Amino acid sequence: MAELYMSATLTQHVLPQRLADFSTLSEALDYAAEGETGLNFYDGRCRLTAVVQYGVLRREALKVAKRLHGLGLQRGDRIALIADTDLSFMEIFYGCQYGGFVPVPLPIPSGLGSHDIYVKKLKGLLKSCEASAVFAPAELVKFAEEAVEQPMRFIGTAKELSLRPMPSVELAPSRSDEVAYLQYTSGSTRFPRGVVVTQRAVMANLQGITRDGLGVQPGDRCVSWLPFYHDMGLVGFVLGPMASQLSVDYMRTQDFAMRPRQWLSLISQNRGTISFAPPFGYDICTRRVRESDMERFDLSSWRVAGIGAEPIRAEVLSRFAAQFERTGFDCKAFLPCYGLAESTLGVSFACRDTGIQTDRINRRELEHHSQAIPFDGPDGNASTFVNCGAALPGHTLEIRDDSGQALPERAIGRITLKGPSLMSGYFRDEESTQAVMSPKGDWLDTGDLGYLSKGELYITGRRKDLIIVRGRNIWPQDIEYLAECQPDIRPGDVIAFLIPGEDEPQVVVQVQCRIMDPEQREHFAQSLTKLINSEFGLTCRVELVPPHSLPRTSSGKPSRAEARKRFIQQIEADCSLSLAAG
Amino acid sequence: MTSQEKILENIFAYLNRLAPPGTPIHPDIDLIQELGLDSIKVMDLLMEMEDEFDISIPLNVLTDVRTPAQLAHTVIALLEPADGLVR
Repeated sequence: MAELYMSATLTQHVLPQRLADFSTLSEALDYAAEGETGLNFYDGRCRLTAVVQYGVLRREALKVAKRLHGLGLQRGDRIALIADTDLSFMEIFYGCQYGGFVPVPLPIPSGLGSHDIYVKKLKGLLKSCEASAVFAPAELVKFAEEAVEQPMRFIGTAKELSLRPMPSVELAPSRSDEVAYLQYTSGSTRFPRGVVVTQRAVMANLQGITRDGLGVQPGDRCVSWLPFYHDMGLVGFVLGPMASQLSVDYMRTQDFAMRPRQWLSLISQNRGTISFAPPFGYDICTRRVRESDMERFDLSSWRVAGIGAEPIRAEVLSRFAAQFERTGFDCKAFLPCYGLAESTLGVSFACRDTGIQTDRINRRELEHHSQAIPFDGPDGNASTFVNCGAALPGHTLEIRDDSGQALPERAIGRITLKGPSLMSGYFRDEESTQAVMSPKGDWLDTGDLGYLSKGELYITGRRKDLIIVRGRNIWPQDIEYLAECQPDIRPGDVIAFLIPGEDEPQVVVQVQCRIMDPEQREHFAQSLTKLINSEFGLTCRVELVPPHSLPRTSSGKPSRAEARKRFIQQIEADCSLSLAAG
Repeated sequence: MTSQEKILENIFAYLNRLAPPGTPIHPDIDLIQELGLDSIKVMDLLMEMEDEFDISIPLNVLTDVRTPAQLAHTVIALLEPADGLVR
């Protein structure tokens, strides 16, 4: 319940700003604790529910660190942290930093009827990180208890921990060569992969993000609804603001999902200057806004409207900018960027104060020769990609072909990356680590495809998803986008992938479809097949599937690889059934 | 006083607006499998419940909810601390 005397933390204070030039997260919090800024939590109606200044957070974290030692945990032990958007997450996360433990933020459940799926996922994650303790919000402790299969030193809430005795131990915070946290990332539910991020890597990345990517300055204030278990939410909006002593206003992801317009209310209300979202966040606001909102919104303070986490379509953002222009939103605030957890978070940022810059290239050259040739012909023969900027200072991007040879500018290939923000590997998973890192561990293969032009990066797709038909490279996103433009189909409803066929591989397009009437369904599938054929010159197999049935990665992106695997398994199962029956 | 019936009535009113005419809506219909509610519509429904009954529905209480009857039950449980008169 909101308390009347509560007021949000200040935006400005006298403490001189330092942009993440610390050697560890605990040192960064020590410094932030000297100022007056801090964290503010809001409910779904934009009412303040909890406030903490960094100074108070630090004091609480130190107590947590001692009590964690009291549980008998050893240095470097993993502490699983089911990460709702609340204050106790912060206390335990930073408590781990001061105590020399490794926090592992894990997702919360979402969606109707997701109990079993969630417990299964949690089991896999707890096993993978070999956690010695699990912290969860009170309502989620039962899920943790269900999922735990190994002996644990503690399963419960932060509040329960606070009732434990506090031993007088000499704290030795996590050092710069030690692991700061594990980040679980996209990967199948059965084989999750934990990215190991050292203090050195996270501090290098935070400095790049705050100083070079965002150009953080005194007077900035962050607003975020991104989940704390996601790299963009954790590094971008928990650690980044703390390491640059900024106040943050948080709303929970579920509250955003229910009332997306409250995100914009929060920015208006608190004069937020920095806030990020994946493209769908901007899209849903554009769709849901009401005329009466326009009077209340004032988005003129929003200096950096970051976009990341999924392929960026310029159209979605232009619609947002046009819709909200009269609330003071400046389309130059858009800041496309590229990143991944394997490089802590941020890899490249577009130039600030320029907005979305795109490159229009010849689709034929792209498909046949993997070349990005500028093009001013008709739309049907063009592909447009968004400029995601140059690599952060100290980092190097290189585009390579399949044999590992570096490619020149405007040649499309694998995006590889070198620099101080790279992970040390996947946690206790040598095989997965070797698959993406060079033997010396200095280069990372991001798994994405793209090209460089004037040193700036354009993402064209995910390599493992690439559809190659008759020697042509076809980007699944393009087919998906075409399907998503049909009435009643939304972004995220479509997955396209390639399966082996008798004569040649076949393109499968799975569409989450809400049409009930069998005749209408048939008609829809046929017309979509025709449309794709006319656009891409290939006959695909359109499969209508129920809503929510397409697999997603933990960050919510459609998982083409998983969809493909399931589809092939299904075909094989069907085959053996009919053989057995025949 | 808010009864389970009152809550169900609200849920049905919402579902009737979305479901194709003639769809039989009953307390035990599966909202996702049978009615095909997508996440945006689920969120809309929850928002209506929150506003109607002035409660806050944490999403994690919905992991065992699949039907209107189960949702009504959950809403009742959330109302209880605030309203001792609940049936």
